[in-house]
Amino acid sequence: MPDTAIGIDPITLEVICESLIAVVREMRATIIRASYSSVIYEFDDFSCALFGPDGEMVAQSWDHPGHVLPLPWGVRCGLQDFAGDLHPGDAILLNDPYRGGTHLNDVTLLCPVFDDAGKLMFFPAVRAHWVDVGGMVPGSYSGLSSNIYQEGVRIPPIKIISRGEVNRAAMMLLMANMRVPEEREGDFHASLGACKVAEQRIHRLVAKYSMEKVREAVRINLDRTERRLRDRIRELPDGDYLYEDYLEFYNQGRLDPVLARIKLTVAGDQLIADFAGTNPQVPGVVNCSLAVAGAGVFVAVKATLDPGGTVNEGAFRPITLKAPEASIFDVRNDAPAGAHGEVRKRAVSLTMGALAQVIPDLVSGDLCGSSFPNAIGGWNRRRNRQYVYYESPAGGNGGFAGGDGPNAFVNIDFGNLPSIHNVESIENEMPLLVEGCALRIDGGGEGRQRGGVGMVRQIRVMDTEASYSVLSDRAVIPPWGVHGGAGGAPYHLSVVRDADTVTFDTPGKVTGYPVYLDDVVVMRSSGGGGYGDPLDRDADLVRLDVVHGYVSAERAAAGYGVVLDARDAVDAAATAARRAAIRQARFHLRVVADDALDAYIGAKGRRRVVDLSGPDAAALGAKAGDLVELLGANPAPLRGWVRISEATEGEVRLDEFARSVLRCADGDAVQLRLLAMPPLPNGMAG
Amino acid sequence: MLWVGIDVGGTFTDGVVYDDATQRFTFAKAASTPGSPTDGVLAVLDMLDCRDLGAVARVCHGVTIGTNAILEKKGAEVWMLVTRGFRDVLEIGRTNRPVLYDLRTLKTPPLAPRTHTLEVTERLLFDGSVRQPIDAAQVDECLAAIPDRPDVAVAICFLHSYANPAHEQLALACAEAARPGGFVCTSSDVLPQFREVERFGTTVLNAYIGPLMQRYLDTLSDALRQRAYRHDVFIMTSNGGVSTADRAKRLPVATVLSGPAGGVAAAVRLGEQRGFANLITCDMGGTSTDVCLIEQLRIPVTDQQRIGDYANRTPQIEINAVGAGGGSIAWLAPGDILMVGPQSAGADPGPACYRKGGTEPTVTDANLVLNRLSPESPLAGGRVALDLGLATQAVTRLGRSIGLDAPTLAGGIIRIAVARMVSAIKEISIANGYDPRDFSLLAYGGAGPMHATAIADELEMTRVLVPVGPGNFAAFGSMISDLRRDYARTRTVNLATAAWSDLDAVFAEIEAQARRDLLAEGVPASRIVLSRTAGMRYLGQSWELHVELPASIDSVAGMQAAFADVHDRRFGHRSSGSVEIVNFRLVARGEVDKPEPPPWPTDFTLAEAAFDARQVWFDGAWLDTPVYDRARLPANLRMSGPLVFEEGGATTIVPPRWSAVVLDHGELLLERD
Repeated sequence: MPDTAIGIDPITLEVICESLIAVVREMRATIIRASYSSVIYEFDDFSCALFGPDGEMVAQSWDHPGHVLPLPWGVRCGLQDFAGDLHPGDAILLNDPYRGGTHLNDVTLLCPVFDDAGKLMFFPAVRAHWVDVGGMVPGSYSGLSSNIYQEGVRIPPIKIISRGEVNRAAMMLLMANMRVPEEREGDFHASLGACKVAEQRIHRLVAKYSMEKVREAVRINLDRTERRLRDRIRELPDGDYLYEDYLEFYNQGRLDPVLARIKLTVAGDQLIADFAGTNPQVPGVVNCSLAVAGAGVFVAVKATLDPGGTVNEGAFRPITLKAPEASIFDVRNDAPAGAHGEVRKRAVSLTMGALAQVIPDLVSGDLCGSSFPNAIGGWNRRRNRQYVYYESPAGGNGGFAGGDGPNAFVNIDFGNLPSIHNVESIENEMPLLVEGCALRIDGGGEGRQRGGVGMVRQIRVMDTEASYSVLSDRAVIPPWGVHGGAGGAPYHLSVVRDADTVTFDTPGKVTGYPVYLDDVVVMRSSGGGGYGDPLDRDADLVRLDVVHGYVSAERAAAGYGVVLDARDAVDAAATAARRAAIRQARFHLRVVADDALDAYIGAKGRRRVVDLSGPDAAALGAKAGDLVELLGANPAPLRGWVRISEATEGEVRLDEFARSVLRCADGDAVQLRLLAMPPLPNGMAG
Repeated sequence: MLWVGIDVGGTFTDGVVYDDATQRFTFAKAASTPGSPTDGVLAVLDMLDCRDLGAVARVCHGVTIGTNAILEKKGAEVWMLVTRGFRDVLEIGRTNRPVLYDLRTLKTPPLAPRTHTLEVTERLLFDGSVRQPIDAAQVDECLAAIPDRPDVAVAICFLHSYANPAHEQLALACAEAARPGGFVCTSSDVLPQFREVERFGTTVLNAYIGPLMQRYLDTLSDALRQRAYRHDVFIMTSNGGVSTADRAKRLPVATVLSGPAGGVAAAVRLGEQRGFANLITCDMGGTSTDVCLIEQLRIPVTDQQRIGDYANRTPQIEINAVGAGGGSIAWLAPGDILMVGPQSAGADPGPACYRKGGTEPTVTDANLVLNRLSPESPLAGGRVALDLGLATQAVTRLGRSIGLDAPTLAGGIIRIAVARMVSAIKEISIANGYDPRDFSLLAYGGAGPMHATAIADELEMTRVLVPVGPGNFAAFGSMISDLRRDYARTRTVNLATAAWSDLDAVFAEIEAQARRDLLAEGVPASRIVLSRTAGMRYLGQSWELHVELPASIDSVAGMQAAFADVHDRRFGHRSSGSVEIVNFRLVARGEVDKPEPPPWPTDFTLAEAAFDARQVWFDGAWLDTPVYDRARLPANLRMSGPLVFEEGGATTIVPPRWSAVVLDHGELLLERD
C-alpha cells in the first residue's frame, strides 16, 4: 500500500475527509432544528465550517457560499487578536465588517477545540444571519444608511465565553441593543450547540485515527483540492483581463453610480483579482470587505471554470486578491456594509465579465444582480404582535451555451437558499395577502440562449398601516448579456394605491415607506442577461417562448425578429425580412484611441461618459444622460452615459481600459445600443 | 388460510406465502416485468404454488411502479387548475439551487408545464373564508381546453383549500362530469395542509402517476380475481401501513416508498417479537441502500422528503437512501480520488462478473475478488454463476492506475461503499442526537448481510441482526402491516388563549372521520386504534415539531408540557414563550391478524450445515473460512468468525472478532467480541 511518510492509506484518507464533512453536516442539522428565526431555518441563511489551527478552512458542506467563503478571514482575525490566549471552553463572537465580518446581521461564533495535551486542533465556526442586530430600522439594514452606526451593534472579535464562563456583561450589552432579544439569544445558543457537537465529534475522530493522521489527511485533501483548480487555471492563456461595472448609490437622492473595476490576471496556475481603479468607499450601503469581494470572485471562478468537487481552503489558494484600501471592495471605518450581498454580486459580475474573455463558452449572461431584500413590517392585530415580512424574490439567470437561463432562480452566490416563502405561510402569519406571483414576461435578456425571466410578486396590506423597505441594486443599471445578448430587465418596485401606481425617486433603495390598508406592493425581480445574438435564436424556440408566455409576441418581433402569424406559427419570410432589417439598423461608430481621455464623472461615485456628436446621438435615439452599452470583440459589453459634445460624427473616443474591455483598437468599429433606465426625478449626481 | 406478500421491485419481484396450518413460510423471486408488472406477480405466485387463491386471506403488495415512473419521468401528461394569479407556483418554486458552484445548472421543470396550467377565478383566505367566489361555468371553460385522453390527468390546486375544500370540490365535480373515468385529484384530498408549493407539487406528483397506478391495480385485481381471490388487495404505503387498492388508486403518491416501507414494517415487528426495541435498518440492494432508525419500536414518519427532483409531502417513513449497492461502480474522480457510486451497473450490464458486458468494477465484483462471495453464489432467482476472472480483471485495471493490487483495491471499494452507508446512518442517528451504539443493526436486502458487520464496526455498534429470508423481507413486511391512515388538519391556535374543549373537539371531529373511513374499508370497530399528535412550535418559530398526545393528556397545560419535553429532548432547551398549534394530526390504524414465524428446528447440527471452506480476505489477509448453509444451521450455538453463511438470496459475512448465533426463530444475531 503506497503510504505517505506518516502512513495514511487512500481509504483512511477518504474516511477521514468524509468524517470531517459529516461533522459540518451535523452542525448544520443542529442549527436548523434549534434556531429561532425563520431566516435561519427556512431560508438557510447560515453556514458552518471547520478550520484548522492556522485558520485554514478544512471542511464545509451545503453552506451558503456568500457566507462561508469569507469565513476564513473571520477566523484569522479571531486568531490574531487572541494569539497565545486561547483555551478550552473559549468562544469568540464577531460581526465587524472591518474585522472578519460581512454585514452586521451575520454573526459569527468560533470555538477552538484542543486535544488532551492542550494543543489546538480545530475551530468549528458558525455564521448565521440574525434578523435584527439593532440600528435605525427593524431588520437593521436600510437602503439609505450613511454610516455603520445606523446598521446595528458592531462586535469586533471578542471572547464571549472564556474557559466555559459566559461573559454576562457583554451578553447583556448586546441583547439590550437588539430587537426581540429572546430570539437572538436562541440563535446564539443554536450556534454554540453546533460548535459543541462538532467538538465532541472531533474528539471521537481524533481518538480513533490520531491527530497526526487526521492532520495529514487534511493536508493531502487541501493540496489535491488546490491542485484540481490550478490544473484548470493552467489551461488558460496567461494575460490581464479587464472589466468594469457599477453599483447604485444615491448621493442626496441623486443617482451617483459607483465604479467597480477588476484586472484579472492569469499567470501560470494562479489568478490575481486586482480591483485597482475601483471607487473609494461611499457613505452608502454598497461597500464590503475584501473577503466578501473575494467570495464573489471565487464563486464566479469555481462555478464557471471547475464545477464539482469539494470546496475548502485548498481551492482558495490559487486566487490572490488586491483592492485599494477604503474602497468599496475593502471597506474601512465607518462606511456602512449593509449591502455586502449586492457588492459581492457585482464582484461575481466583474469576474465573469473578465473570465468571458478567457473562457467565452463557459460563462453565462449576467445573473440577477441583487439579493433584493424586501421588508414589510408593522403590528399584527390578529396575533397581537409585531411582524416583519422578509423576502428576496429571485430573478432570472443568464443564458449560457448549453441552455436558456433559469427563471426565478437565486444567484450562484446564494447557493441553496430559498428566496421566497409559501404564500399560505405568509397569509397565516401576517396581515398580508399575496395577490399574485407570476413569471415576469419579457424580463429575460434576449439572446440566442435567452436570459431567464424574473418574477412579479404582489403583496396587499391587510391591516391599517405598515412600513416598507428595500435594498436592491440593478434597479437602474440592468444585468448585461454576453456575445451580443441583451441585458435583462432591471429590478422594479412600485406600490399600487387605489388607481395610482407609486414609484420611488431612488429606484431600488427605500427606507420605511408608509403603506396602508389595501395598498399593493409590487416587486419585479430582474431578468438574466442573454447569451449570443438574439437574431440567431432558433425561430421555433422563440415561438415556444411566446406559447409559454416567457416572451410577448411584440418582443418576439422587436427583439428576436421573429414574426408569428395568426395561428402562432413562425412566418418564415416575414421573419427573415425582419431579422435582416434589425441587423441593418444596428448603430456602429469608429473607435478613436485616446489615452489622455478622462472618461469618468460623478460626485462620490464615478461613472463613464461616452461623448457622442449630436447627429450620432440622434441616430441612436439617445439624449444626454442616457445609458448606452458598447459591444466589441469581447463577449461582455461596456456601459457608459451619453454626453453630447463636440465629438466628431461617426467616432467614439475610448481610453485604453475601455479598448481592452472591448478588445478593439483605433479604427475598429464598435456597436452602440441604448439601454432603458427608469425615471430618475432627481437626476444624477455630478 | 394463506397470507401472500409480494414486492415488485425494479429488478426482481419477490414473493412470500405463509400457511397457518403448517406455520411455514415459502419464499420466491422472479424477474420483474416492467412492461406489464402483473406478469411478474403471476410468475412469482406460480413459483409459490399459488394458482388458486381461494384459500388466501390477504394479498399484500409493495409496489414501486409509481416510484420508477417518477424517477424515469414516464408518468402522465398533467394539467393543473390553479387559483388565478398563481399559475407559476411550481415553476417558480422556492427558487433555491440544488447544486452549488455550478453556473450551468438548470431548474427542474415542473411536471405540469406552464402551458398546461389554467387559472380559475376564485380566492380563499387563510381561514377558509371566501374572498372571490368560484364560478362553475369558468371552470368548465378551462376543462374544455384539456385533451380527452386516458394518459391525461388533472390536478386541482387552489390556495388555502386545506382550510376549506369547497372550491376544489366544486371543480372536481365539474371535472368528473366533463371527463368521466379520467384521473382527477384535488390538493385538499391529497395533502390537506398549508404550504402550497409542497401541497401543489405533491398533488401534481399524484396526478402524474395516477393513470398508471390505476391501470396497474385494475389489471392486477382482475388477474387475482380470476385466480379466485375474493378480498381486497392491500397496498403497502409509504407510511408503514397498508391501504386498500381503491384508496391507493386515488392517492398513489402515498405509495412511493412502498418497497422500503415494507422492510421497515417487518423490522418493527421483528424488534417487537424478539426484544430489540432500538434498530437501525440497512436494506442494501443492487443500486442503493435504504437506512432507517427505529427508536423504541416507533416507526419514524416524516413529511419532508423528496423523490427524484420533486417534493413529496405525504407522510412517509423517514428513510435515508444512498446510491451505494451491490451494483455501484468504483471510479476515480479528478485527483485520483477513489469513489463508489452513485452510478450503478444495474441489472444490465450488471457487475463485470455477471458476464453481460460490464467492465467497470462494482461492489459485487470486489466481494467476489475477496472470496466473500462465492463464484457459485446463491443469488436471487437461483444459483447464478459469477465470473471471478472478469471481476479480477475489472478490479485490477482500476487498481493499476493508482498503484494498488486487486485485493487491496477490492477491500478499499468495500470500505468506501461502507463509508457511504455509514455516513447515511450518521445522518439519521448522530445528526438527530441518537447514538448508534444504542441500536442494533438489522441487515437485509440481497447485499445487506454481507456488509453489515463492517458498517457496525465503523459506528461501534456491537450487534447485527439478519432476519430469516433477508432477500424477501420487504414482501414479508407488507403481509404483517396494519391498515394505516394519516390525517392532518391545518389550524393555527395559540395555546395561551385556547380552551381544551375546543381543541378536543377538533380531534374528535377527525377521529369520527377516521372511524367512518376505516369501517367503510371493512375494519371492525374493535380493531380501530387512533392516536393523536399535534404540530406545535413556539410562537415565532416556523418549524413545527410533531408531538404525540396520548389519551392521558387532557388539558392545555398537558399539551404545553408535552411539547416542551419534546423540544428539550430534540434541541436541548425549552423556552417560557407562548406555544401554538399549527396542525391537528391523527394516525388511524386498522389492526390485522399477523402470521407468526415458527420456531427454528432444534435438530440441526453444524456438521450438516457445513458445505465448503475457502480463503476469504479480511483486513489485509487471507483467512481460512468455513462456509455454512444458513438454512441448516443449528439454533443457539455460538460460532466465532471468520464465517460465511450462504442462503437463497443472500450471503452473511462474520469477520474475525465477531461471533454468530441462530436465535429461536431463526434470526442470525452477530455480536462483536
